[in-house]
This record gives sequence, structure tokens and C-alpha cells, in this order.
Amino acid sequence: MALADRDPVLRIPFWRNVKTIGILAQIVFVAVIALGVFVLVTNTLNALGRANLPADFSWLGSRAGIPIAETPIPYTPNDPYWRALLIGFLNTLKIAGIGVILASLIGIAVGVMRLASNWLVRSIATVYIELLRNIPLAVQIVFWYTAVLLPIPPRINNPIEIPGGLYLSNVGLAFPFLYPTYRFGAWVPWLVLAVVVAVVGVVWRRRLAQRSERPVRVWPLPLVALAAIAAGGYYVASLDRTLPDGLAVDFTIDRGRGVVYRDLDGNGVRGPRDPLMPFASTIVRIAEAELTASTQNITESGQLVRSTFRFPMILERNVEAAVVDFGDPEEAAERGFAIHFTRFPSRGVVYVDRDGDGEFTPGEESDAETGIGYGGVRLVMTVVGYERHIVADRDGQVRTPAFSPSGTVRSAEVAPALNPFSVFGGAAAAESRDDIVPLEADVELLPAGPLVLSRVHVPVSSYEGGMRLTVNYLALLLALVVYTSAFIGEIVRGGIQAVAKGQREAALALGLSPSQTFSLVVFPQALRIVLPPVISQYLNLTKNSSLAPLAGYGELFVIATIVQNQTGASVPVALLLIASYLLISFVFAFVLNIVNDRLALVER
Amino acid sequence: MFEVIPPRPAPAGVAGIGGWIRRNLFSSPANTLLTVVTGLFVGYVVIAVVAWALFDASWGQVWANQRLFAVYRYPADLLWRPMAVLAAMMALIGVMGGAGRSNEILRGLFWSLVGFVAVVTVIAILFWPSARVLWTGVLAASVVGYALGAARPALVRALPWAWAAWLFLGFFLLYGVTPGSGLLRIVPARDWGGFMLTLILFTGIVPSFPLGVALALGRRSKLPAIKYTCIAFIEIVRGAPLIMWLFVASLLLPLFLNTDPNNLPAILRAYVAITLFSAAYMAENVRGGLQSVPRGQTEAARALGLGGWLTTSLIVLPQALRAVIPAIVGQAIGLFKDTSLVFIVGLADFFRVTEIVANQPASLRVTGGVKLELYLFVALIYFFFAYRMSIASRQLEKQLGVGTR
Repeated sequence: MALADRDPVLRIPFWRNVKTIGILAQIVFVAVIALGVFVLVTNTLNALGRANLPADFSWLGSRAGIPIAETPIPYTPNDPYWRALLIGFLNTLKIAGIGVILASLIGIAVGVMRLASNWLVRSIATVYIELLRNIPLAVQIVFWYTAVLLPIPPRINNPIEIPGGLYLSNVGLAFPFLYPTYRFGAWVPWLVLAVVVAVVGVVWRRRLAQRSERPVRVWPLPLVALAAIAAGGYYVASLDRTLPDGLAVDFTIDRGRGVVYRDLDGNGVRGPRDPLMPFASTIVRIAEAELTASTQNITESGQLVRSTFRFPMILERNVEAAVVDFGDPEEAAERGFAIHFTRFPSRGVVYVDRDGDGEFTPGEESDAETGIGYGGVRLVMTVVGYERHIVADRDGQVRTPAFSPSGTVRSAEVAPALNPFSVFGGAAAAESRDDIVPLEADVELLPAGPLVLSRVHVPVSSYEGGMRLTVNYLALLLALVVYTSAFIGEIVRGGIQAVAKGQREAALALGLSPSQTFSLVVFPQALRIVLPPVISQYLNLTKNSSLAPLAGYGELFVIATIVQNQTGASVPVALLLIASYLLISFVFAFVLNIVNDRLALVER
Repeated sequence: MFEVIPPRPAPAGVAGIGGWIRRNLFSSPANTLLTVVTGLFVGYVVIAVVAWALFDASWGQVWANQRLFAVYRYPADLLWRPMAVLAAMMALIGVMGGAGRSNEILRGLFWSLVGFVAVVTVIAILFWPSARVLWTGVLAASVVGYALGAARPALVRALPWAWAAWLFLGFFLLYGVTPGSGLLRIVPARDWGGFMLTLILFTGIVPSFPLGVALALGRRSKLPAIKYTCIAFIEIVRGAPLIMWLFVASLLLPLFLNTDPNNLPAILRAYVAITLFSAAYMAENVRGGLQSVPRGQTEAARALGLGGWLTTSLIVLPQALRAVIPAIVGQAIGLFKDTSLVFIVGLADFFRVTEIVANQPASLRVTGGVKLELYLFVALIYFFFAYRMSIASRQLEKQLGVGTR
């Protein structure tokens, strides 16, 4: 520098000075970019003004009117746009969170299978990975949605029952779920205490492990403490058996539904200001109820099924006794009718025992052609000792199957119009509203612990209770999990193979079993290689959840397109979308950085 | 004194097919059990799928709608135009394959394409009468191209010009020249679709390449204004999914240009979105390559007196790009699959046509629908191309020695 400054020949002219060129280049660059942005913004503002479209965010507060099937937090179409978009965002997190866990599990399994010594297993894993990686996710989503999930499970009122209280149908999957109750707050301090103790315990055990010469197990003791304090806290919190003040239930037996509410004004009636109580535990008892049904000819998947009857799904375990008989047994006996249950006691077929073997054989259904099956064949189910433990829904609703007790049968004039398939006979017509026998329903609110288990029950129209996942969610989840697991599987395989062969051989030479070698020596080292690319796969899964329009699942992108369509607010919606996805990406990048730092520390 | 013992065959059970089977399938009782159980499962699945495909599935709608799948609503009487473009493309690839016969990867790719065209030709001969001659022509053009390339390898030098001419003429042939009803009448972009559209959108990777290289160089620039602009562009674009960018582009491009949305065909908007999106990912791939070039290379170039541009274009970039070819092929596979997302802007690409065919009255009349058949067909086609490219990528990786140290 000194030489160049002094010697006029060596001094670089300013227009060839790298620094000057750099600054000039930047000025030109910024000017061009600024000009471009200016032109685009002016154009956009002009266009927005011309088309009279909103350019601000004031519409966020107005009523959305968008129905969303799956909402992690309470939502109605009357809520404003921002809440609809929030639901979308939460739904994105909901599918990404579960998807990431499942994809990791399957991915690891596939990656390990890819290295199995068994050729067949190895090949299956290879085919799985290659097939799924090379078919567009869009095709896979539509495949799972329209070709697998929509057609297979039957209608809602005849779902596939999976052991453990799960129900699957083309409406979705419903399963028992633990919900926090009004007493959950009493348990929270205990949970906090448990976590604090566990953290302190881990730190203490870590220190001990560093100082001690003998191996110290870090995790078991703190985890036991965590579980013990949490369990003890749960017990203490559920000792208080009093219900909160004014908790009441409003239940109508013949509609089979009601609400749990908090009677704040104390007038004994649910007023508009009395809040509904979600997840309150209730028992509904009905001493005796009679349910009526007529045989119907119904069409099921294109085929006419003759003389079928259906009662609300009353499961045997909920009742002491359930008897189904003809409304007029003598008449039925005269015509040779008998009942064949396809699912006791709620559904079956009325048949005529033509061959006299006392059993139902296909073809013996009483049907319209032979003139049997109509004219007074009415079935009555007598349910004794009905009792059901119900957990109020998220909005405080309590539902049992809708009872239609004897006497509330609609009169003959109305019946055909209401239900063209059912033909009520003279016996039903003779009954009128005057004959209603009031049935006693005993509804009791139970003092709840901090959590309550909500089971699924299956009334006619939709599932009640438990946790419900729509088929749309399931289809998208399946496709995302399966697709991402193929990529994760390949990463896991690469990671395991990258662990130096000597490590495995040394571990085996030291006498570790093959499974110990894998879980204690190979896998931890592979994890270090595997984790960063796997995290970027997690991000991919999250971003890929935006293919939800193909499965009709209401996540962020889908809701945003609907909102844009309704409001015309293209620019604000676009900005919100970009901001949301960038937020998600930054969170992942942040996690990735932490992981990278931790891994770098471990390296020696 | 010493007697050489003649080599003995390996003990039975180790060598040969029997040995292989023993080692890989029946090495232990547990392994045998595993083999039997998975074998039964695989056998069951394979038999069930094959039985379904042969006896239960109705493939009629797949064959009956070949034109929709290939070009969507492109007029039937003008089919020769896209087919001519395709034939020219196959011929050019053929010249490349024929001239570079020593390049196994290129040759393999070419013959795979020819195989695909041959299968489609057979299908066309059976089920698509009006396109029989055209498909046979495409097949012939590819073989002729290969023969030409093999006979005169010097033709390769003319290839860049040939490709440029193909791009230029191809566009005009597809789009048309004159309004009205002549042979070269304009076919509006909304009638384009099917696999043709998928391929057109796939070419978005070509303009994304120079853009991506520029972005990658910009990101490594020492000038903060350029550096941070490039970083912002790359990270923002990569931060959100393609389907969102397609949606946003279709909303915002007409606004940005202050023009009526109808003046900007959906294809154009999708193409812009795909190109910019692809460029951001390309930039990250190229950056990886740039980082892999040792500093000594730059320093040596500077010491030899090369300036900044020359160092970059003659020394750094060639090495960097060579290292990232497999990554770029990987990205091309991703883009090929992602073209299926253009349904969101209302384009009827190969994937979207499936839904259109599935909802035809003829499809709905089939008991049980034909969606499964249609989507399996589409999945198979996508799989063929994506998997073929991934094989090529692996071969390239081996050839370039990337990943081996």
C-alpha cells in the first residue's frame, strides 16, 4: 500500500480499484433492484386499485363463514378470518408433528431392513424406497385418498370396529382419547414440580457420572421420580371429589342429547350467559326404554337388502338386557316371521322360514314382492338398565344414541314422507302422541380427575366422543409418512454404512451381542451423520403438507386459498402464507443449527 | 519337495447359487422363518396384484384416452405438430447417443427413451389409430438420429445450434403462427396439457440453471448488497413449498405487471414460478460445488494473472459444476415429480388429466370406478422416468467419483 501510494505509476486509478468497482457495482445493483421493486409495487397498487381489491389486513377481523371439519381449537364458521387461518396453521402443525414421528419410525425400520442379511427383506426395503421416492407425492395422496380410503370402509353407521375401542369408516378414524378436565389446573403444579425434579436429577446424575469411576446410569432415577411425582400429584388432585359450583346438566331423553353447563346465575336453567363445560364426566342411566323400528328395504352399495332393521347402536356392554321382538307377536307368528340378527341386538333381517329349518338362509327375506314384510311388522327393542359413561364434548355436548321410546313413533300420515323406505303398519298408526310413556332418565355428573378418558360411541349420524380424525387427514398423513419414510430410510442406510466397519468389528470382538453392537455402537455414530439430513426431510414433510387440497384437509394452504377466493385479498394472503412458511422454515433451521452444534461438540 | 496342491472347488454350500441362497435366505433358523413368512407375504401380494390387474381391473379407459394423456385438448388434426417436435427431440438425443457411444450413461438413457417410445408406439398401433403413423415416425426418427450420430460423430459440434433451433422452431410449431384454421393455426395455451405439458414445464430446469449459477456466485460475493439480496431470494423461495409459489405466482404476476389475468396464460405463470423456484434450489446445489473447489485453485489462477471473471468461469465453475452434476440430476427428478403440482393453477398436466379422465361418463359407468387403474398407470409412467433418471444419477456419481475419497 505504501509503495503504491508513493509511486504515481504504481497507483491504481480509482476506476480500476477493486473497492471502487465493488461499491459502484453495488450501487448499480441496488438501483436496478429498487427500480424493479418500485415498478412492481406501483403496478400492483394500480392493479389493486383498478380491481378494487383489499391491500391491507382489515378483513382479518370479519366473519369467515368457512366450515372446517377438523379444528384443534374450538371454531365455528362465525369466527373471523384470522381464526380460520390460525386453525389452518395449527392443522399444518398437527399433520406435520404426527407425520414426523411416524415417518421417522418407518424410515428407520426401512433403512435397517435395507441392510438386512436376508435377501428377501433387503429387496422389499429396496423396492419400497425406490417405488415411493420416484412417484410424485401428489399421485400418492390421490391414490390413498380416492383409491384406498374412500371406498373401502363402509358407511358411518356400520364402521369397522378395531379392538381397543377404535372405529374406522369412510368418515374417518375415531379412538378413545384423554382430555383435560376442569380439574386439570390442580395437577399442573405437580407436573411442573415433576419436570423440575427430573431436570435437576439428570444434571446431578450427569455430574456424578463424570466424577465417579464406576458407570452411572443417568436416566432411570430421574425418570422414575418424574413418573412418581406426576402420579402422586394426579392422585392428590383427584382426591377432591366436589364438583365446581353450579355445574349442571340439561338433558332431553328422547333426543338423546344435552349439554353440561355452569349455572353462573344460579336460576337452575341454562341461560345465554352460562358457559358450557367441556370434558365433564357424566353418567346417563335409563331404567327401561323401548325403541321401535320398522323393517325397511334399504339400498346398500347398489344392492337392495330386503327387510332389514336397524336400531341405534346399543352395545351389549351398556345394557343389562336388550330384547327385540315384534310389535305384534301373534300377527308375526301367524305369518311365519322370525328375526335374524346380523349384529345383536341392533341390526338384522326379518325373514320367513320357508324351508322350516329354523335358520335364516339367503333368499328367505320377507320382501315386498311376496307381499310379506309389510303391514304391521314393527320391531320393538326393550332396553333394560341402560347405563353409559359419557364425557362431554369439546363444546360441552353430551350425547347418547337418540332414543325413540315407545309412543313417540310418528303417526302413519307423516311417516312415509319422512322416510320413504319405512312403511309403518296399522299398529303404529293406532298409536298417537297421547300414548307417550314418559321414561325416567337419570343423568349424573361425576367428579372428575385431572384427565378423563373419552370413549367413542357410534350413533347414527356421526361418531361421538373420543378423538376423531377425518379420512382427509388420514389420507394426507399416510401419503406424507410413506413418502418421507422412503427418503429417511435411504438416509439411515447411508448413515449406518458410513460408520467405519472397524467400529462394528471391534464391538463384536469385545463380546457385545449383534443387537448391542447396533444399538450402542453403530446407531449412535450413524445418528450423527443421519440427523441433519433427516431434519431437512422433516421440513420437507411439513412443506409437503401443502398438497392438502388433493385430500381436502383444511391446513394452512387450503384455508388460505379459500380466504383469498372469498376476500380477493391476493397480496395480503400471499404475504401471510410466505411469512407462515418462512416461520416454519426458520424454526427448523434453528433446530438444525442446535443439532449441528451439539454434534460438533461430541466429535473429538 | 513341494507339491502344488491343485485348487479345489469351494465347499458346497458356500459357492454357486446354492451357497448364495443359503447365505442370503437360510443362514439360521430365524432367518429361514423370516424368509418363509416374508416370502409368503410377498407371494400373496404379488399374486393378488397380478390377478387384480389381469382379471378385475378395467384398463379400457387408459387405452381409450391416449390423446388426453399425451396432449390433452390439443386439436387432433394438428397432432403432427407436437409429434414433430418430439421426433426432432428424439433425433437430436439420438445423435448425441450415437456420437457419444463410449458414454454409457447417455447411451443408456437414449435407449430407455427409445424403449418407452416403442411401447407407446405399440399401444398406439393397437388402440390409437389416428396416431399410429406419427408414433412410428417418432420411433424411426430416434433410430435414424442414432445411426447418423454413430456414422458422423462430428455432428455433435452442430448440436448446440440444433438444440437452439429446435427450441425456437419447436415453440412456434406448438403454438402456431397464423390465427384462423390453417395447418399452422394458433393453438391457445389453455388447450395444451397431458404429458406434453409435463415435459414443457420440466424444461423450466434449463433457464433455472444460469439463474441458479448466478445466484450461487452472488451468494459468495464479497459485496454485501449483492450477497444479501441473493441470500434473501434463495432462502425465501426455498422456505415455502412450490405449490404455494405456483398459487402466489398465479395471483401476483398479473398484479405485478398490472395486466388482466387473462392476458397471462396459466402455463406462463406456472413456468415462471417453476423456474424461479428451481433456480433457488439450483443455487444451493451449485454453492455446494463451489465450496468443494479447493482454495488453492483460485489462488493459483490469480497467481497466474487471471482476473476475477476468468478465474470463476475457467477454473472454479467447471470444477464446481462437474461435482454437482448428480445433485442437479437429483433436483431434476424432484422437479419432474413436482410438475404435478400445477393443478393448483388450473393446468391439465399429465397428473390432472387423470382426474379428468376418471370423471368422464364412460369412466363413471364402470362398476367400482377406474380411478385405481388410472392412478396406477400414471404412477407407473412417472416412476419410469424418475427411476431411470435416478439410475443415471447413480452412474454419474460413480463415474465422477463423487462421494469417494
